[in-house]
Amino acid sequence: VTVVDIDGRSLKLSNLDKVLYPTGFTKAEVIDYYAKVAPTILPHLSDRAITRRRFPNGVEGQTFYEKNCPKHRPDWVDVFRVTGEDGTIDFCKIDSLPALLWLANLAALELHTSMARAVDPDTPTMVVFDLDPGLPADLVDCCEVALWLRHVLGSLGLECAAKTSGSKGLQVYLPLNTGPMTYERTAGFSRTLAQVMEQQHPDRCVSVQRKELRVGKVLIDWSQNSRHKTTVCAYSLRARPRPTVSTPVTWDEVEACLDARDAEVITFEAPEVLDRIAEHGDLWLPTLTLEQHLPELG
Amino acid sequence: MPRAIWSGSISFGLVNIPIKLYNAVSRKNVSFHQIDTRSGSRVKMQRVSATDGSEVPYDAIVKGYELSPDRYVTISPEELDALDPEATRTIDIEEFISLSDIDPVFFDTAYYVAPVKAAVKPYKLLEEAMEQEGKVAIARFVMRTKQYLAAVRPKNGALVMSTMVYADEVVPAEDVPELSDLDGVTVSDRELAMAKQLVESLSTDFEPEKFRDTYRDQVLELIDRKAAGEETVLEAPAPADEGKVVDLMAALEASVKEAREARKRHPTGAEEDGAEAEVAEAKPKKKPAKRAAKKSA
Repeated sequence: VTVVDIDGRSLKLSNLDKVLYPTGFTKAEVIDYYAKVAPTILPHLSDRAITRRRFPNGVEGQTFYEKNCPKHRPDWVDVFRVTGEDGTIDFCKIDSLPALLWLANLAALELHTSMARAVDPDTPTMVVFDLDPGLPADLVDCCEVALWLRHVLGSLGLECAAKTSGSKGLQVYLPLNTGPMTYERTAGFSRTLAQVMEQQHPDRCVSVQRKELRVGKVLIDWSQNSRHKTTVCAYSLRARPRPTVSTPVTWDEVEACLDARDAEVITFEAPEVLDRIAEHGDLWLPTLTLEQHLPELG
Repeated sequence: MPRAIWSGSISFGLVNIPIKLYNAVSRKNVSFHQIDTRSGSRVKMQRVSATDGSEVPYDAIVKGYELSPDRYVTISPEELDALDPEATRTIDIEEFISLSDIDPVFFDTAYYVAPVKAAVKPYKLLEEAMEQEGKVAIARFVMRTKQYLAAVRPKNGALVMSTMVYADEVVPAEDVPELSDLDGVTVSDRELAMAKQLVESLSTDFEPEKFRDTYRDQVLELIDRKAAGEETVLEAPAPADEGKVVDLMAALEASVKEAREARKRHPTGAEEDGAEAEVAEAKPKKKPAKRAAKKSA
């Protein structure tokens, strides 16, 4: 166990040499990544309820989804108390470098966030379209659907942003940042759009969850627009064979990926993501700042 | 090696067989300690006076039997010892019966009965005689201030003793309202035939090894996972001088460097743990395309 001082907080780091990914990526590298990405990821984490997906024995080991902040948290890690019909949950408030690294040390590789802020859990600040390919469709097919989706949103006068899920798919976010808003409206809007897309391209995409309908197509999953759901946070690591990251990408890159028909074009591992931030800054910032109004459909 | 928990003798008629008792069952409950979540410290039990909260030393405590609220008869250990027929130290066999005469509800705790060296022969004699007669012995004995009823029976060449509850300790089934209501219920032959068919179809030989305490397995697994995943529920408070505090990047640098060098030495390290298929699938060799795309972006 190594005790480190981070911004005046004392934190115990353990098992730094433990290999968490089959490629040999260790816990020290995970913590190192989160330490370096902290200034970029924290604005996207700090005021939201986070579901932690932990892999104490690496990505091939058992995993735990955790919402409640453990009682044994350091006394400087605060919580958001969110009360809903399904009870009260104290979410960890991850608003500082030491808090983020405390989670990283618990092997919380994946951080999934809510569409709403924790202080106002019924008001989503953005809409997510989670594009999930059904084999043999892959990330390239998601790029095609994402570009169509961008076009449809554009025709409604709306701007959107894309990020890889870091796993198999792509996610298109529509920033709103204008209250009042409800999940009923964001879910209804995204569902209608998914159905429109399905009608326009019935051979390429589906709007319903059923797995057997997804074969060779892209599911436009609108159901993530729910108070009860969280979606992987931008810049979060994923538990894949490689330490891939949910990476914000430019629309040029989405087009390039489709043109090259090569998922690798927009597949990024942790060190590459840090290079990209140095080059592009935070491509995901508009999801927090861009103010747009959700049009009434139908 | 298990430890004998009682020694004495089995006595019947004029025969006296010196024996020891061993637990035949070791309960596998998972036991937890109590921990103070604020400090990680173990919680200590303390006997305190119900009147003023002050700690009561162990040697000041006696047993008290409540006659009516706040009225007690106190009994000292010496007084109980005087009643304890310690001197007998015998398992007195009173009769021999058939095992099937005892309803399982009477059985309590099982012990192995083991002969001391000099008593091997009479022990074996008793065991074999009971085995061949198909009988079990009903006995009385005293252990730790309680008089027990017990059944001694032969099992695979050894004697096993089960303590039993007394008849007046068994709750009569009629005391359970739902059970006393069953009297008036009738079933048809057809229903009975179907139920019997179901019972038959599930009939098998009892193999106790087939059954496990899966809840306990899960608790132990949870403990293992937590222990392996450094999420100890709480760490005991560290002594003040434990581990010197170092700078974060200094702490990580060496480990990160080592991991990167290890990968350079074994670029296909993934193959060693059998994950190559997955990795190969996820890693097509088309890096150049990405570089080009990056520049265009």
